Amino acid sequence: MDYIINGFAEAFRLIFSFDPEIMEIVFLSLFVSFSSTLYATIIGVPFGILLGITNFRGKPIVSRFLYTFMSFPPVVIGLFTALFLARAGPFGQFQLMYTPSAMIIAQTILVTPVVMGIVFNQSSTSGYEVVLTGKTLGAGKGNTLLLLIAELKGTIMIALVTGFGRAISEVGAVMIVGGNIRGYTRVMTTFIAMNNNMGQYSTAIAMGIILMTISFITNSILYKYIIGDINEYRD
Amino acid sequence: MKKKLTVLLVVVFVCALTLSFAGCSPTKKALEPGSNGTIILATTTSTQDSGLLDVLVPAFEAETGIAVKVVAVGTGKAIEMGTKGEADVLLVHARAQEDAFMAAGSGTERFDVMYNDFVVLGPKDDPAQVKANAPKDATKAFTAIAAVPATFVSRDDKSGTNTKELEIWKAANIVPEGDWYVRTGSGMGDTLTVTNEKLGYTLSDRATYANMKDTMSALQIVCEGDPLLLNPYGVITVNPAINAQINADGAKAFADWIVSPAGQKVIADYTINGDQVFTPSATKQ
Amino acid sequence: MNIETKNLTKTYKETTVLNLTHQCNPLFFESGKIHGIIGPNGSGKTTLMKIMAGLISQSSGDVLYDGRSGNSDVPKDITYSSHRPTLFSRTVFENIAYPLKIRKRPKAEIQSIVTELLDEFEISDIQTHNAKKLSGGESQKTAIARALSFSPKVLFLDEPTANIDPKNVKLMEAALLKRKKSQGLTIIIITHNLSQAFRICDTLTFLNQGTCLYSGLAHGLIESADPIIHDFISFNLLKKSDLPLKS
Repeated sequence: MDYIINGFAEAFRLIFSFDPEIMEIVFLSLFVSFSSTLYATIIGVPFGILLGITNFRGKPIVSRFLYTFMSFPPVVIGLFTALFLARAGPFGQFQLMYTPSAMIIAQTILVTPVVMGIVFNQSSTSGYEVVLTGKTLGAGKGNTLLLLIAELKGTIMIALVTGFGRAISEVGAVMIVGGNIRGYTRVMTTFIAMNNNMGQYSTAIAMGIILMTISFITNSILYKYIIGDINEYRD
Repeated sequence: MKKKLTVLLVVVFVCALTLSFAGCSPTKKALEPGSNGTIILATTTSTQDSGLLDVLVPAFEAETGIAVKVVAVGTGKAIEMGTKGEADVLLVHARAQEDAFMAAGSGTERFDVMYNDFVVLGPKDDPAQVKANAPKDATKAFTAIAAVPATFVSRDDKSGTNTKELEIWKAANIVPEGDWYVRTGSGMGDTLTVTNEKLGYTLSDRATYANMKDTMSALQIVCEGDPLLLNPYGVITVNPAINAQINADGAKAFADWIVSPAGQKVIADYTINGDQVFTPSATKQ
Repeated sequence: MNIETKNLTKTYKETTVLNLTHQCNPLFFESGKIHGIIGPNGSGKTTLMKIMAGLISQSSGDVLYDGRSGNSDVPKDITYSSHRPTLFSRTVFENIAYPLKIRKRPKAEIQSIVTELLDEFEISDIQTHNAKKLSGGESQKTAIARALSFSPKVLFLDEPTANIDPKNVKLMEAALLKRKKSQGLTIIIITHNLSQAFRICDTLTFLNQGTCLYSGLAHGLIESADPIIHDFISFNLLKKSDLPLKS
């Protein structure tokens, strides 16, 4: 019980002391997760839309795989990414292990199915209708794509926010490929795990509170400016 | 209009983050390697948790300009990283495994660096009467614990600590089995927490216990000082023949520095709550 | 634009939903007239219409547009509106303006065309409303206005006035008739409302279980000896005298 109270007290102290190490950790977390969500969106949205509106053989199987990958354990993704990026691995010469780049790569792999799955699901149902309607009004390929993105905008934003949430809160992947190295690859989640291991509960809780606050703020901003629009279109 | 504002905001946010991270970060190490290169040092979680590296590494970096990426994992993984060439230099405390590593040709040089010691911890009421009967005899202590049998918590993770623990059981001619023998498969910190909760006995390195003493209110040291409880550390430079990315020069610089008078002094000066934790033991000059 | 189908069939999962290889082969819809397609539910009306509009592909046979074959690449001046239209997540105005916008018409022209349509369909007061939040009648009117905005040559309508109140039904029919006269617009309309069918259609095509039992002048349907048609008409109307007089 003391831990929790101390945790809050420690949190205030950490935040308002503007401890450089803590700020660095927070910024790195945001940088890694924002970047990976961005890349995941760039890859996942077009593919998700395309797969959604096309009727191809094996679509049910593909969608099942996609939904499975959406909830793939981050630690397993970290493991497999590490195998590829290790010095002994195929991409060894790039020396990517224990760098923020490796963390971004792993998180992009983690988040892309999430974004893709959400977009795919929505575009399978309502995307097809949009394509047909566009066709009847004379829309060519380019206009159809623009139309789809506009109509699926809400879904895309939800996918983005969900993906970001997944990225910023995971610890398995960034721990394995990042190594929680002080000053290099330490992020909020690995910091919490480490402090817990060391029995420094107050510090761990403090960072936990910071993480949840940051998450809340980021989601609120996204919600207010983007999803807020979309809710106007609901009953 | 609102949409354009949104996109702008997002872009600005991302850019700001990138810039702030690259430019204003207190330690710019993440994006710039040390001016004289970077090495990956594989070590154990208990070494990192002791806090020694937080003084040792900056001292080395300041003197040589070589940046050190400390990856703290279990002993098994640290050795494995050396075997695969994923690390440039190792700092571990598992002599048998270190010797096997050198015998296999995975290491170029190995030096003694320092030692700390292990302590046997137990609950305040000490049901196995270790403190009374075997305060300086680890083998006798373990025998007493198994005789009750009192709860004993083991890391069971092939770590240096675990290796030492198994050594003592062997010396006592006991194979620890049964409900009283709890396996956590975790690091020292977690294992101590479990021990504290379960009011059991365990083997811990002194440094981790010293760091966590405040939260381990149910435990006390029941046995210490047995030569068997010494925990020697070795530094090993990884054989550069294993793969092309190994920074052999940086590794050698680190190994040479840590056994040098300068490095040894940093080790000797390191204290936790006023107590020296590590004893320098380098014989190489 | 004339539309013609030849040897058209559609099989879906081993069931033949449409077979126009015997009767009504070829099926011919003359340019500048209003053609009704009627029949019981599941008779293949929507399937036939979607094939002609190029939205689904047939199993065999062909569709010709002014003699030019191929519904895999339909001419751009053909449009279609379903009985539950898909409107875009934008205002009513923007929806109607969409076909003009993608045809890169000048802003002033778009403004005048859309305003005129809004007046004609009496939806000016909701032009800034979100098109996803309209009532049934408002949605239909918006969808049809959108379809008409770029002055297409052929308009396929699938039950456009189902569940619409009489006042709006009259409004929409007036819009269709006006364009038939002034632009020579070809309209092909599926309807369950027989009064409407006889009111505005020049020809009627009667489908039953995927086959065509009649295709010709609207009045000719009454005189058909086919018992299925006979039952259908008497079921949907009380007496012959309910039929509106055709001028």
